[in-house]
Amino acid sequence: MENIRDTSGDLIQGTLDMLILKSLMRGAMHGYGIAEWIHQMSQQVLRVEEGALYPALHRLELRGLLSAKWGASENNRRAKFYQLTAEGKKKLTSESQRWARLSAAVAFVMQQA
Amino acid sequence: MPEWLHEIELRAKALFNKRRLQRDLADELAFHQAMLREKFEREDRDLENVPASVHQSFGDAHRWHERLTELWQFRWLENLLRDLSFAARILHKSPGFTSVALLTLILGIGTNAAVFSLVNGLLLRPLPVPHAEELLILRQLPSGFGYSFCIPVFRLLEKRTDVFQDVFAFTNHEFQVRNGNRNESHGGALVSGQFFAGLGVPPQLGRYLNATDDQPGGATSGLAAVISDQFWKTWFNHAPDVVGSKLILDNVAFTVVGVMPRSFIGAEITSRPQIYAALAIEPLVDAPFNNTASGYHSWWFRVAARRKPGMSVAQTNAALRAISGPLVQEAIPDSQFRIDYKTQEQLYLSAESGSTGYSFLRKDFRYPLLVVFVLCGAVLLLACLNLASLLLARAAAREREIATRLAIGATRRRVIQQLLVESVLLSFTGTLAGFAVAPLTARFLSFFITNNYSDLDTSVDIRVLLFAAGIGVLCTLVIGLVPALHASFGSVQTQMRQGAQNLRRARSQRLLGNLMLTAEVALTLIVVIGAGLLGTSLMRVYRTGLGFDGHGLLLVDLDITKQSWKAPAVLQFYCEFADEAARIPGVGNVTYAMPTPFSGSTSWDDWYSNSKKQTLYASSIAPDYFQTMRIPLLTGRDFAWADTYVTPLKVVLNQAAAQYFFPIADPVGQQIRDSDGKNAKTYEVIGVVGNTKYADLREAVRPMVYKPLTQDDLKTPVYTFVLRISGKPGPAIDAIRNLTVRLAPGAPEPNFLTMDRQINEAISSMRMIVMLAVFFAICALLVTAIGLYGTLAYSTSRRTSEIGIRMALGAQRKQVVWLVFRENAIVAVIGSLAGMGVALLASRALTTLLYNTSSHDLPVMLLSVAALGAIACIASLLPALHAAHIEPIEAIRYE
Repeated sequence: MENIRDTSGDLIQGTLDMLILKSLMRGAMHGYGIAEWIHQMSQQVLRVEEGALYPALHRLELRGLLSAKWGASENNRRAKFYQLTAEGKKKLTSESQRWARLSAAVAFVMQQA
Repeated sequence: MPEWLHEIELRAKALFNKRRLQRDLADELAFHQAMLREKFEREDRDLENVPASVHQSFGDAHRWHERLTELWQFRWLENLLRDLSFAARILHKSPGFTSVALLTLILGIGTNAAVFSLVNGLLLRPLPVPHAEELLILRQLPSGFGYSFCIPVFRLLEKRTDVFQDVFAFTNHEFQVRNGNRNESHGGALVSGQFFAGLGVPPQLGRYLNATDDQPGGATSGLAAVISDQFWKTWFNHAPDVVGSKLILDNVAFTVVGVMPRSFIGAEITSRPQIYAALAIEPLVDAPFNNTASGYHSWWFRVAARRKPGMSVAQTNAALRAISGPLVQEAIPDSQFRIDYKTQEQLYLSAESGSTGYSFLRKDFRYPLLVVFVLCGAVLLLACLNLASLLLARAAAREREIATRLAIGATRRRVIQQLLVESVLLSFTGTLAGFAVAPLTARFLSFFITNNYSDLDTSVDIRVLLFAAGIGVLCTLVIGLVPALHASFGSVQTQMRQGAQNLRRARSQRLLGNLMLTAEVALTLIVVIGAGLLGTSLMRVYRTGLGFDGHGLLLVDLDITKQSWKAPAVLQFYCEFADEAARIPGVGNVTYAMPTPFSGSTSWDDWYSNSKKQTLYASSIAPDYFQTMRIPLLTGRDFAWADTYVTPLKVVLNQAAAQYFFPIADPVGQQIRDSDGKNAKTYEVIGVVGNTKYADLREAVRPMVYKPLTQDDLKTPVYTFVLRISGKPGPAIDAIRNLTVRLAPGAPEPNFLTMDRQINEAISSMRMIVMLAVFFAICALLVTAIGLYGTLAYSTSRRTSEIGIRMALGAQRKQVVWLVFRENAIVAVIGSLAGMGVALLASRALTTLLYNTSSHDLPVMLLSVAALGAIACIASLLPALHAAHIEPIEAIRYE
């Protein structure tokens, strides 16, 4: 299992942001849900540490890529729900493209004998 | 919305609702933990271990909370606020250092801003009229009458609309305004027809003067006057129906036709005319004088112009030059008068930019003021250097504190930032305080320069503000650079660990500090030498000997020209006035003179004896003049009231004139003539008196002739009443005021001036620059003394343990004193040498301001070095003696 920590490495930082944006593509979600979703979707390979998740979420909120609203969770608790803004969606698109290009390139290099 | 703006908006919201932010953060994290707990419970773990595994998985919630809070703050702002309060606390804890630092800055910045506002008022500020940049001031070249013009030239010029948009003349005129049965003096101006149109300021009430007013005898509708806003307020109490009111000016009836707005000050920046009348009616208000009738013999007003749109100064000048030959020729038929007496060239007219208006002060004060400005800049630089070296020394003394802060986790950037904030706080406060005292200083200086007889506007405007901000930033840079330099010498941590590096670093740091101190000493020496040279000159001017005793003389300007008295009545008035005044208690000898020495007006003529010709300064005097002035009568006799023009014409010569005309024979009884033509009048020399200075304190004694008042035709009776008084002039002034009311009821109140003051005014530009230079020199010495003392005291306190060990090993107290003293002695010697070198080169700039003093005057140089040396010794001995009293045991324990 890979733990995503809050390091200053640009790749990891940028990647976590991208994963968060991606997780919110289908609608608003709280922080716990986002972490769980990434964990599930990566087939338990990626686990986002809380110490990395929340700073990333708040940074994205500050940058205007996410908007936040308080609401009731599935088990009726007060929770903060995050949602993609128009800017966030744009960012997600460009990030996905960039990631696709990058990962293909890395894979290509690694496949060389 | 750009990302950064969004960020600021959210952060600002968080800043103003801190409690809500905290609650939200806590809730969010708590929710996450709760969800985790549920999940672990669902996953059927050992219930007892759930809290532990939540904690293990989630980590320290407090830490996340803190990190998130930080994320939402304006970190730099809050850090800055924290640094500021810390810096304020540190500065507050060392009040000695702080007050010295602030004082030097206030001194430096305050005087600079003040001197600059003078420079600004006199040289830079444009005249408050629309499009001041289009204004031109006209003058004659090669030198001729300079900026003065005569009626014939001006009236021809006025018609040349092909060269100028408007061209106009103006001159100050003191109006006697009738108030009841007395006259009051009010400053005003005589202006030509295009004056107001040319300046382009519309009146706030009525109309302004125009060409119809500016004709001999005035407009057919009567004589018109325009008044200032100030006069409207004081004389007419802002009455709305003032237009049409009557004013009796110089015994002539005028009608007020308009009121100018408050911002209007005329075309001279150093005067504020209250009443404007037309130039052409000068003979009416100037009577018994008549400059207009004197034609090209009388050059008595200034001329300015507004250039045509689209014509540059150079183009206008070329056009003016082209027309000036024929124009001058037409105006001045006598070819002798068209030729400059120095260069023998034909006079021609020239225009220069006049956006800042005209001022007679400018000519006298431009250079001295610039010299003062440079001196004062040097003092500011000194203050900065001083503060920088003090801060450096202080930072060294604070190494321990800084090292501790680094050790417990502060980043180097934060420490540097902290130190920077400290110096910026200092320089910012200093600048602000300095700027606050600047207007007061500026008013004081301008009072000094102008003796309060002019109204130079030295108020703060955008240029002064920019200048102050500029020097503030500059100071901050110089001062703030120190912590940066200090930090760039390597990490304090490594310095703590490695002794060798420590030594190297301490050395290079001390070198930097010593370099700054050396520069300070050099700069101070330059300022002190400059002040010494100027001060010596002034002293020599005073000591040069006036030839008379000016102390205790009171001068009274009696204006009886508007009384329309015939000569016998004037003579009778003069006699009676003198008799009565002599009876006032405390009054000694009394007399009259025209002009008095250093009054600003001079009179001279060519005189002839049988074989010789000489230009003599002239003065008309009443009997007892020599006794009153205490001028020795060498041979012959004084004038007497009985020497009227029924007796032969008489003169008294001064020694220089007598020696020139009659080197061998006894001058008394000889005759001289006032011209060599047919109409020459012959005068008998009845006495010879000692030489006196006349027009300028700085010029050599010139030959001089005295004529008696009793043989004057008294058509223009503008004699000054001169009296010798004992004690304060106050009572005598009151008595003479009453006497004037009694004997000349219609006359305006006389002006009073002591001879001491008249002499000081005659050399006011020199006095100003000398006093300022001496003031700056004292400041410089003080600042340097503080710098030498402060840095040495700091560096010595760092060496306490070293000195303790030396003493424990047997060093004598004398040796310790020398050890400490040596540090500054080297700095002082090198600095003095460098300063001396620069001063030798730079003092040449003062040559034109010096009197009887070489710019390399050796005694002044030596004395300056001695003064600086003495101050440096005292400043360095104190820490040295202090060091010598260190008790070895305590010193070692101290470490």
